[in-house]
Amino acid sequence: MALNFVSGRTGAFDWLFQRISGVVLALILGLHFIILHLISGGEYEYEVIMTRLANPSWKVFYFCFLFFALYHAMNGAKILIDDYIHHPRLRTLLLSLDWLLAIVLFLYGTLIILMHQAPAVKG
Amino acid sequence: MGKVTFTILRFDPEKDKKPHYQDYEVEIRRPGMMVLDGLNQIRWEQDGTLAYRRSCREGVCGSDALNINGVNRLGCITHLEDLKTPVVIQPLPSMPLIKDLIVDLNDFQDKFFLCKPFLIPKKPLPDLEQLQSPEDRRKLDGLYECILCASCSSSCPSYWADPEYLGPSALLNIWRFVVDSRDVGADERLQLLNDRHGVWRCHTILNCIEACPKGLNPTQAIGGLKKALVSAKF
Repeated sequence: MALNFVSGRTGAFDWLFQRISGVVLALILGLHFIILHLISGGEYEYEVIMTRLANPSWKVFYFCFLFFALYHAMNGAKILIDDYIHHPRLRTLLLSLDWLLAIVLFLYGTLIILMHQAPAVKG
Repeated sequence: MGKVTFTILRFDPEKDKKPHYQDYEVEIRRPGMMVLDGLNQIRWEQDGTLAYRRSCREGVCGSDALNINGVNRLGCITHLEDLKTPVVIQPLPSMPLIKDLIVDLNDFQDKFFLCKPFLIPKKPLPDLEQLQSPEDRRKLDGLYECILCASCSSSCPSYWADPEYLGPSALLNIWRFVVDSRDVGADERLQLLNDRHGVWRCHTILNCIEACPKGLNPTQAIGGLKKALVSAKF
C-alpha cells in the first residue's frame, strides 16, 4: 500500500481546489497588478516597496499569494503526472518530488516574506 | 462526374510489418455519395482485400467510425462533397489495429459494460410499468442516443495517454443512468469512476464533442458527474 499512498485520494479534492485556487489567484494577481503598476505608478523604489512589504497586512497578502500560486502550480504538475505516468514506483517518486519541491519553495518564500523589514530612515 | 482520390491506411498483419498508405480513385457516380459508398466501390470493384466494418449505412449502428481527414466521423453519413481531397482515411486513433480500417474495440466495450449500462430499478418492482414524468424523460435527451461508435473516446487525448481511463463514451453512458429518475444505482455507479482512471482524467479538451456523429456532449455529461462527486464529498 505504501507505493500507492499518493494516489489514495480520488482526485475530487484536487479538481475542486485547483478551481478554487485558480479563482483566488486571479483575484490576488489582479490586486497585486493594480497596486504595483497602477497605484504605485510603476515606480519601483526600494524604500516604497520595502515599506509596503514590512506591513503585517501585506505580509499576509503575499503569504496567501505564495500559498495559492504554489498549490495551483504543484497540483497542476501532479495532475500532469497522474495523466502520463502509469508506472506506480515512478509516479510515487515524481509525486513525492513534486510535493517536496512545493514545500521547499513554500518555506523559502515564507522566509523571504517574514524577513522583510522597513528600511532605516535616511539621515 | 469526376473522381476523388482516397488515401487509405492499409495493414495486413500476415504480410506487413507496419501500416502503409495506398491511393485509390473513386468515381463520383451520383450526387450525395458518402465515404462508405466510396469504400464499397473500392472493395467491390478494385481491391477485394480492403477491410472495414459497416452495417446499417445510415448512422445508427456505429460500425463504420473512421478517422476521415483527421476527424473521427461515420463513413456512412459523411458526404464526399464536403471533404477536401485527397480523402485520407485511417482507423480510429489509439485503438489496437487488427487489419486495414478495423480496430479492436474489446477494451472500449469492456469499459462500457463496467458502468452497468442497464436500469437498476427500485424494489419492489411495480406491477405494471415504471412511470416517468415528461420532465424527467427530457433529462435523458442528448444522452440515450449514444451508438457506441467509439468516435469520442478515440479522439480524446486523455484516453490516448491513459489506457485505463474510462473515456467519454463510458462516462456519458454512466451519466445517462445516474440522471434517470427510475434508476437507483447512482451511488454504486459513481463509486466506479471516482478514481485516478475515472472522471478526473477529463480536462475538458472538447475533442469528444467535435467527434460525436450524433451531436452529443460527453464533456457536459462528465461535468455533471464531477459535480455529483464533489457535492457528495464536500
